[in-house]
Amino acid sequence: MPGTPLEKIRNIGITAHIDAGKTTTTERILYYTGVSHKIGEVHEGTTTTDYMEQERERGITITSAAVTCEWKGHRINIIDTPGHIDFNIEVNRSLRVLDGAIFIIEGVAGVQPQSETNWRLADRYNVPRIVFINKLDRVGADFFRAVESLREKLGIVPLPIQLPIGIEDRFQGVVDLVEMKAVIWEGGELGAKYHDAPIPEDLLEQAKEYRQLLLDTALSVDDAAMEEYFEHGDVSVATLKRCIKAGTLSGAFRPVLCGSAFKNKGVQPLLDAVVDYLPSPVDIPGIKVAAEEGEDEHAERRRIPADPNGPFAGLAFKIINDKYGSLTFVRVYRGTARTGDMLLNTTRGHKERIGRMFQMHADKRQEIKEVSAGDIVAFVGLKDTRTGDTLAAQEDPVVLERMAFPVPVIDISVEPKTKDSVEKMTIGLQKLAAEDPSLQLRTDPETGQTILSGMGELHLEIIIDRLKREYGVEANIGAPQVAYRETITRAHTETYTHKKQTGGAGQFAEVKITFEPLERNSGIVFENQVVGGAVPKEYVPAVEKGIRAQAETGVLAGFPTVDFKATLIDGKYHDVDSSALAFEIAAKACFREGMKKAGPIILEPIMDVEITTPQDHVGDVVGDLNRRRGMIQSQESAGSTVIIRAHVPLKEMFGYISDLRSMTKGRASFTMQFHHYDPVPRNIADEIMAKTA
Amino acid sequence: MAGSLLHWMRGRCDEESATPRTLEWIGCNDAGEAIARVVRLQGPLETGWRRYQAVALDAEARLIQLRLPPPEGGDWLAYVGGRVVGRASLPLQAVRTAEAALRGRFRS
Repeated sequence: MPGTPLEKIRNIGITAHIDAGKTTTTERILYYTGVSHKIGEVHEGTTTTDYMEQERERGITITSAAVTCEWKGHRINIIDTPGHIDFNIEVNRSLRVLDGAIFIIEGVAGVQPQSETNWRLADRYNVPRIVFINKLDRVGADFFRAVESLREKLGIVPLPIQLPIGIEDRFQGVVDLVEMKAVIWEGGELGAKYHDAPIPEDLLEQAKEYRQLLLDTALSVDDAAMEEYFEHGDVSVATLKRCIKAGTLSGAFRPVLCGSAFKNKGVQPLLDAVVDYLPSPVDIPGIKVAAEEGEDEHAERRRIPADPNGPFAGLAFKIINDKYGSLTFVRVYRGTARTGDMLLNTTRGHKERIGRMFQMHADKRQEIKEVSAGDIVAFVGLKDTRTGDTLAAQEDPVVLERMAFPVPVIDISVEPKTKDSVEKMTIGLQKLAAEDPSLQLRTDPETGQTILSGMGELHLEIIIDRLKREYGVEANIGAPQVAYRETITRAHTETYTHKKQTGGAGQFAEVKITFEPLERNSGIVFENQVVGGAVPKEYVPAVEKGIRAQAETGVLAGFPTVDFKATLIDGKYHDVDSSALAFEIAAKACFREGMKKAGPIILEPIMDVEITTPQDHVGDVVGDLNRRRGMIQSQESAGSTVIIRAHVPLKEMFGYISDLRSMTKGRASFTMQFHHYDPVPRNIADEIMAKTA
Repeated sequence: MAGSLLHWMRGRCDEESATPRTLEWIGCNDAGEAIARVVRLQGPLETGWRRYQAVALDAEARLIQLRLPPPEGGDWLAYVGGRVVGRASLPLQAVRTAEAALRGRFRS
């Protein structure tokens, strides 16, 4: 649908916990909107959006895929995202560029950890969202319990706009509370046929109660609608829909729908809800421009409105390399661009020419010649544009708000099986790291080994597999290592003089630097407070460079040092013997000396672990968690199973799945995700330091 | 509103917010006399030595009720004839609370 008016475009994501049914729902959407003529199934490895070989083999989504479909005169661009926490970067960057989202919640388990994580991400980017409670055909499904879990675990106001008719194997359809009618599907096969019917007698009272709740909640966002209600005793469907959309956009409440995507029930009304309640690009405030250096990240800043006639502005949010070259996915926020146009990469300060552009449909592509505000497209031919960069027209070179990326928590060493593959491996890994900002690549300065850092064992396993399949490199990998960090616990000021005289021009630089601890996740902050030219301005960047470089190797055990501030407060220089290199060397040495006196400690990643176990194994599981230095956070019963939540150091979680299986005869399962960094206990710090000494 | 005893209309508005919202709904009888009100709790209010999180004001912006913590699920206050008859999290629910109180009064 080229040339679709902006108000008829929906850019949405589908996100949830692993196995809640995101890909299955996406497949049904593609089928019912006429994009595909047969339904792909996750368990058969035939889905449209899971096109990578690894996705089809494992039945999981690894990379987010963009697809486009049409529903009732609207163009819906959908991004299906992975559920596994190891691939959270995909959810992160998708939510960053989407205007709305469908959150799928499992009807049996309710809100699960990854749903919570993704929900918080969507909060960060202010993404309006609707909730779809899926799998109501499953044994143990309970719509109302799932709604309650939304309130309890996410702290939101869930607003059911549908109620289920029947449950488990008797689930037949939904009560539409907006139009007060029943929607019944005739069978569960392809479900293409469904019809409206009066609300069943036994559900009428409950439907009236929930309709009242819907009116109470939805009308509270619109005074004119309240007046209409007072005057007529009810409101029109159009008014009610307007109020639901307003509340969805403001986040006052979250509309809740239900169904069973696998049984083909509830998908069409879900599409109606996308059109009715999720925003078009013009319904939401424009994207913010990035904060200037030193400016408060949360301050109100200029916004770029969705306008196809304005100067171009787009955000590169994903890069993939395939056999045809590098594809840069761009969300266009303003303006129009054509093939061959020259744009400015305002993040890096250079020009880029658009070679070709494509509308993507999972791994298939359709060439287009023009893109406008509201579109999500892939550009080919960009030379040096990375994830998070802004592309803009030269007449208004804005830099859009940047993206935040998660911190890698696991390291592995990797080396090619044959020596002649070294270069191929390096190129392959660099390309994979360029695609995936949650993957980091570095060389250990002491051993010379290539170290890959990622989000989890599965993440790194997939990377090694892709290296083999896509770049033809077989690699040996070391055992996974915890990505420890170092930091400091108190402030200290250190002075260091670098002086060298070996004939000819000498080297001289003196720096006085205060090192102070910062809050977790603050990274490294550098500030120059030198006055009166004690350190000439041209040497200050060299001091910062020296500190940042030396921080890669901490003073205790060589782990990267984070969460500290270094303030250059004084120094000395020599007219002839001072140089940038001399100041860099002085800063490095000052860091090494200063950090030792600033109470250095080692930090370890702590994981948020959720274990679902049968009642009779709770004692074993809790005892085992205690042995692993776990801190139990909560324990709640859900029928015959118990859900245990704990914070456990990642170090203690390697190989946990096999221990859990043997403890519970394979009946328990667990998920985990990074939660925070904590200091390691003294005895373990000593062990770590002894190993790295 | 179906079966309503009163005619409800907008009262005071929050003029300071970007999108002015009604802070008070007034229920009038057939003669146009104000019988009941539902009022949105606001705050914080500094009274020199104390900070109140939730404040309800009447039509003349006189204080009806002060509360220290924001009441859970009670953002709207219903009052009839100068007497608080209940609280609700949403204005329509508060209107029903006020009407229920009036019905009770008529019955007795």
